[in-house]
Amino acid sequence: MAAKKLRRAKLSQELCERLSRYQITTCQDFLCLSLLELMKVTGQSYRNVQKLLRQVSLACAPKMQTAYEMKVRRSVNPSSAFLSTTLHSLDKVLHGGVPCGSLTEITSPPGCGKTQFCIMMSVLATLPVSMGGLDGAVVYIDTESAFSAERLVEIAGNRFPTYFDSDEKLFCMTRSIHLYRELTCDNVLKRIKSLEEEIISKKVKLIIIDSVASVVRKEFDTKLQGNLAERSNFLARGASLLKYLAEEFSIPV
Amino acid sequence: MQRAVGSLPLGPALRARLAAAGFQTAQELLDTGPCGLSREIGISKEEALETLQVVRQECSGDAARTAGGAGTTRKCTALELLEEEQAQGFIITFCSALDNILGGGVQLTKITEVCGAPGVGKTQLCMQLAVDVQIPECFGGVCGEAVFIDTEGSFMVDRVADIAAACVQHCQLIAEAHQEEDHQKALETFSLESILSHIYYFRCRDYIELLAQVYLLPDFLSEHSKVRLVVIDGIAFPFRHDFEDLSLRTRLLNGLAQQLIIIANDHKSAVVLTNQMTTRIGQSQSTLVPALGESWGHAATVRLIFHWDKSQRLATLYKSPSQKESTIPYTITPHGFRDVQPPAVTQNTESTEMNPRKRPRREEEK
Repeated sequence: MAAKKLRRAKLSQELCERLSRYQITTCQDFLCLSLLELMKVTGQSYRNVQKLLRQVSLACAPKMQTAYEMKVRRSVNPSSAFLSTTLHSLDKVLHGGVPCGSLTEITSPPGCGKTQFCIMMSVLATLPVSMGGLDGAVVYIDTESAFSAERLVEIAGNRFPTYFDSDEKLFCMTRSIHLYRELTCDNVLKRIKSLEEEIISKKVKLIIIDSVASVVRKEFDTKLQGNLAERSNFLARGASLLKYLAEEFSIPV
Repeated sequence: MQRAVGSLPLGPALRARLAAAGFQTAQELLDTGPCGLSREIGISKEEALETLQVVRQECSGDAARTAGGAGTTRKCTALELLEEEQAQGFIITFCSALDNILGGGVQLTKITEVCGAPGVGKTQLCMQLAVDVQIPECFGGVCGEAVFIDTEGSFMVDRVADIAAACVQHCQLIAEAHQEEDHQKALETFSLESILSHIYYFRCRDYIELLAQVYLLPDFLSEHSKVRLVVIDGIAFPFRHDFEDLSLRTRLLNGLAQQLIIIANDHKSAVVLTNQMTTRIGQSQSTLVPALGESWGHAATVRLIFHWDKSQRLATLYKSPSQKESTIPYTITPHGFRDVQPPAVTQNTESTEMNPRKRPRREEEK
């Protein structure tokens, strides 16, 4: 949205050319300037500049929706609002399960079972909707190399013996869990950026990142000067990308 | 009429030409007329006409202001302000202790900033206020609508529905107790659907969308003149990451603050912002301070800081022009933002009443 070119914001051609001489080509550059600077750069009067600002803002601003419309949309599709964890007390506390469309974070000391939980959620996501799943693929970004496919099959077989009664069903499930091993922060960020197309093409319904802290801790030593800012930068960028993906496709992350 | 040409809101190229041609006051421009102007400076007749129209508008605006005319004048006596302030409404928060320290509730025409660590209840308060602003006047509310600008994506419609249902129930109880006719009439229009449909929600993903939305807000508020609350949930989030140029950030934030003050004053609405906390590393210890730096601290009129004290949530009034600094406890229940119940009566029920979406802070309470 920010990188939207001014041409597409319906500004006149000569104005765009004039602005590009000052290196102002995107909406972001335009909106970051103050009114006086805009007047100098466009050569227009105060009132015209205000009109231009409004035009460019219209091109960038988000759409309005009332809370009522949102509620109606959610109640039309109640099953798609949550992914149940099949642990009844946890589901009750979470008001239905892991919410779709937002980020959920699981933290604990080592050995408590985070990776096991993630593996189980991957199995649940591939189940059909009638059994409480999301009937879709899973993207699993693994930074600790802790994912074990055998354990995945074991969980599936023991938890849902009636469903996974044939090898074929197991193959089908394992094929829809896409595992990516990324060992550095840059790779993780690159992978998250490339996820948008994959989600559409592979019909992904769940994204799991296991774990964010390990890869960040390995690379950024907070005692060194400047690393704290870089680390927060990386984390915040990753978080906003994931939030965008979660909301855009209404999937749990 | 003696206004200098340099102070007129014309384009800089035009101004340069006028200065080069020797024009000094606005009166000279008006006397020359469009054809003369176009000949002397070398611009087309249409441009000259436009310029003269702008000059005429500015000068008539000046005359009205010097004659003490009505409209855009911002001068008034302190007595008029006092009467205005006393007649002004507050938006109650349903937590009487918080309303007390704020002097009645969230004040209209002022910017209130709520800072706190993650998970302490800032978004809950914003959702509560978005519902409370719609309470009809006969129940003590301001009967307005709400604009909710979300940058973090933490707005949960189901939660707002719960809070709204509790609020409607509360009003129904009051109406039954008082049995007045305008209460009944007001209750007809104050329902869950109407509350939800009067919360206008915008989801801004980065700071450009936020800036664009704030530029467009005055027009939106003129169309929806009943809006009395603008909530920006998470003003720090889009500005905290991906910003190499800190001076640009300060400039944008200051511009944003100024626009919000204008919006609050012109449309008589309250502006509520939520901010994050950041750690300031001192000599030997680190303290939590509101994010976005010292200069942002001047933007808000009233500042509330939410924090934890073991397992109790506390709200501190950090900055206010009229109330003194104090701290009060509050809780979040399934019904929304509420006072702390007296401990002797409801020790057990309080722990089960805590918002099921929040993790319990201490396991032994359950």
